[in-house]
Order: sequence, then C-alpha cells, then structure tokens
Amino acid sequence: MRYQLVQKPDFSAVRLQFDQPGEQIVAESAAMMGRDTAMDMKTQLQGGLFAAAKRKLLGGESLFTNTFTATAPGQSLWLAPGPEGDVEVIEMNGQFPVFLNSGAFLAAPPSVNIDTKWQGAKGFFSGAGLFLLAASGHGPLFFSAYGGIHAVDVGGYGYVCDTGHVVGFTGGLQYTVNKVGGLKSLFFSGEGLVCHFRGQGRLWISTRNASSLVSFVHPFRPVSSG
Amino acid sequence: MNFEILHRPAHSMARVHLNANESVLAESGAMIGMSPNVQMQTQAGGLMSGIKRMFGGESFFRNTFTAHNGPGEVLLAHALCGDMRTLEMTQYGYFVQSSSFVASTPNVQTETKIGGFKTFFAGEGVFVLKATAPSPGALLIGAFGGIEELQCDGNLVIDTGHLVAWDATLDYSVGKSGSGWIASFLSGEGLVCHFRGQGRIWIQTRNASAYGQAIGSMLPPRSA
Repeated sequence: MRYQLVQKPDFSAVRLQFDQPGEQIVAESAAMMGRDTAMDMKTQLQGGLFAAAKRKLLGGESLFTNTFTATAPGQSLWLAPGPEGDVEVIEMNGQFPVFLNSGAFLAAPPSVNIDTKWQGAKGFFSGAGLFLLAASGHGPLFFSAYGGIHAVDVGGYGYVCDTGHVVGFTGGLQYTVNKVGGLKSLFFSGEGLVCHFRGQGRLWISTRNASSLVSFVHPFRPVSSG
Repeated sequence: MNFEILHRPAHSMARVHLNANESVLAESGAMIGMSPNVQMQTQAGGLMSGIKRMFGGESFFRNTFTAHNGPGEVLLAHALCGDMRTLEMTQYGYFVQSSSFVASTPNVQTETKIGGFKTFFAGEGVFVLKATAPSPGALLIGAFGGIEELQCDGNLVIDTGHLVAWDATLDYSVGKSGSGWIASFLSGEGLVCHFRGQGRIWIQTRNASAYGQAIGSMLPPRSA
C-alpha cells in the first residue's frame, strides 16, 4: 500500500494506492471521496457491537467504519475528513501506541488496533474528553484536525499545550492538567487549563479550535421569538 | 525574539522564539502551546485601558509570556481562520483594528481609539489601537482570510470590516461609503475608512461579520 497526502495544509486529503489484492484500509464513515469501482467496501461495526459502541460512546468516533479491500493491484482510494484542516500520518511500528483526541481518527489498516482509553478525572478537564482513542499495532495511522497540525518533539523539559488544541501524542508521553499562571490568570487570562506533557515522544497540536468558530458564529444566529 | 509564521495561509500560527528572560505580550486566549519554562502573567495594564480594550472587542486582560532559565517558545494563534503577519515597528507606529492584534514585543505601547465618533452609534464600532514603540520591536497581527498589502498614494477607501492595520503616517476618518446614509446602508458597504497620505495598508480578504451573518442566518434560532 502506498499513500500520499494531497492538498496540504488547508484542505488536506489522502490518496491511497494498493499494490496487491486483499490489502485493506479501515476508514471513518463518510471519509471516502472516491475509489476504484471494483474495490470492495464493507460497512461494519468495527470489532463487533460492543467495541464499536464503546468507541462511539466513549471515543467520539462513528459507530460504523468502512473497510475497503483491494480486488486487483493498482486500485486507488481517496479519503478526506469532514472539516477543513490538515491530515497527518504516523507509521506505527508496534513499539508504542498513539493516543488520539476523539474525532481525530481518519483511517488505518486492520493491522492497527483502535481502542479507547479512560483518562480519569483529568480527561474531564483536558478538553480532550474522558476517553482517548488508543491506536497500537503496525501500519500507517491517518488522523485529522480542524486547523493546521503542528508537531512538537517533546523531550527533556516537556511541553505545555492548551487543552482545546491537543490532537494526539505518542505513547512515550504522559500528561497532567494544570492551570497556567496564578489564580488570577485562571479566571482572566482566557487561557484556562493546559496539558503539561512529559516524557519522550511527539505531540500534535491543532492551530485552530472548532469551538472558537462556533462561539464566534453563535451570536449571529437569529433569535427565537418564542 | 523572533516570530516565525507556520501553517500558512488559512490556519496560520506564530512560533515566538524567546531568549532567556525575554517576554512577549499576547492577546488573551491566543496561546495554544509553549515550553514549560515560559511563565505567563495576566495583567489589565490599568483599569481604564482595560475597559477601553473591552469596548474595542478585545479582552480586558492581556498576558505576558516570559522565558525563565534559558530560551523558550510560545505558539500563538488567532481564533478564526486566516493568515498572520509580523510588522516591524517604525518611528511612526501603526494603527491596528483591535481584533487583529495578536501579540507584540513588550516595548510596544498600545492605546485604544474610537475610529470616528459616528461609528460608535452605528453599531459597527471601529476600534483601533495605536501601537508605537520607542525602540525596535514588532507587532504580530492576525486576519480573517488572507492579508493583502496595499500602498496608499494619495487617497484610498477601505471597508472597515476588511481593515487590519495601517501605517500611522496616514490620516484616516471613518464615514459612510456613499453620498447619503440610506445609499450607504443599502449598498451593503456600511462604513468605510477614508485614508489620505502616503503609507501601507493591510486588508483582510474576508469580513468576519459578513461571514457570521451568512452562516448564522442558516442556523436554527437561539433563545434570547
């Protein structure tokens, strides 16, 4: 399987090309832009009803995923996320898991296992939700975000990221949720809480936050008379 | 200090490289990431200037980020989609549409001004910041849409919703776009800024309130 990220960075998408029949990729529902007609598509509850429901309810992903299977060499598939923004890929090598914020998963071959991971109380404050998606295994993992995706290689001193901007991170990192600055800053800085990452690994930050856009548009909605 | 603008153009972000003990002053909520040795302090910078900033559609408070015990970095972004740009301070300074201000070097002084008395009542308040600095420094501005640099050589008229910043060498006045108030209103152009003199003007290729109206009107009503 070969792939290429196209139309970066504002409206990024993925072009996949399969070398052999039987190669598969599992994609988030509605992610397909196009495919070779002969390619097989199966919609399923990935990992069975329970696992799928858990991902849907806890990980913020769709209940159904689509599995695309090549039926002949050279077939192509194009995938894109819903919102505008960037797409990134990490080649999983079985050594460490990758954690993704809910909604960031785009696609991966079946050799990458997707599960949910309870974040504890800090998940409640992290802005990333109580559960993260935990990906492990081998193969390319495609993920997306609203806005640009900025990679930070964390080492030594760690890194601080606004809670609303975490896209994902590799398994070598741990985080705690802290306030930034003093007590006055907690209420007045507009920065609120941050995730403080420590360890060795890579952190992905989105340069925009969809809820800021929503907050901006909200006052422009018509006012109901009732 | 150096501002590096990445992920251009639609989702631009500024990476601010700070030397040890250097600071950057940023608009509230602009920080999306930073090194852990960078400390943030929140200040109003005086009650009156805080209140004036609030009227200008900005937040009452601003944050200062300082690198301690060595160099550090801060990532800054604007809330809406669009480009960013660094303006090197000149002896004359700049006027900046208040919502376009993202950050500055700490030596930059900003003062909020109301762009034309009439606009205050027209509901499309043109609040501008006058930014000046006694020594070299820089200003980081963020726009909704792309940023286009225009050269004013005599006279130019710019829609206030598209204004980002301009050289303080220019004279400006805010007024109606057509010959009468009714025509101005019907033209959909609302208020414009008349510039006279020589200088540069930066405009944004999208208008945030026009965008809000286009999208907002398609959404289900909100409760009052």
